[in-house]
Amino acid sequence: MAALYRADPPALRVTAAADAMTLIYHRPSGITHVVASPVPEILDALDEGPADARSILARLAVAHDLSGEEEAGAAIAARLDEMAAAGLVARA
Amino acid sequence: MSGETQDEGGKGADATPTRRRLLMLGAASASAVVTIRPALAQTAGSVMHCEIPVPDPIRAGNGWIGADGAIVAPDTPGAVRPAPRPFTGEEVKAALRDGMPLPGADYEASRAYMNYIRRLQSGVSGFTCYASLQMPRG
Repeated sequence: MAALYRADPPALRVTAAADAMTLIYHRPSGITHVVASPVPEILDALDEGPADARSILARLAVAHDLSGEEEAGAAIAARLDEMAAAGLVARA
Repeated sequence: MSGETQDEGGKGADATPTRRRLLMLGAASASAVVTIRPALAQTAGSVMHCEIPVPDPIRAGNGWIGADGAIVAPDTPGAVRPAPRPFTGEEVKAALRDGMPLPGADYEASRAYMNYIRRLQSGVSGFTCYASLQMPRG
């Protein structure tokens, strides 16, 4: 059973693009994160509701051409781990 | 690596054309999140739960709060009694953002309390809490 992840609603984040990076201020924690792609895209994908890594990948594939698909699953899982450690997502 | 970009939306049925863009998923080992913890954010985890006493009991004694937020002698005309309990960061934030009265306070008292809170200075109880509320700007 793959872990499900959820994100707080978009209203609880303030997001600003900063060249190649994205700044995310997470209101509930009051902490700012500097993130790189695909983190903002994963958060957007979670707006549709909690999902596991595989579903997130499927959602991302709807609007994006994905590169590096060979290890896409591992990459998404690693990002989710990282985002959970930072408090940007939680295991549902 | 195979031809991954072929025409997934072959039916073309969707009325809304979405602009597809390339998303680099990167290597699993390539970290993508750096968290910033500024000095003031050390308390940020509890920003919404921190407390602001109105007034600071140590400094105000049994003083009341004038309409302009200054601490005045008890029973001063136009002044209001001290708030019965400290307000939380969340309550003050809601009042700042939405103009809602502070809980348990009528309009006049809430306005005096908010004026007091706006005048908080470093070293006064509640200042750090109030300052940390100022950081997030949406």
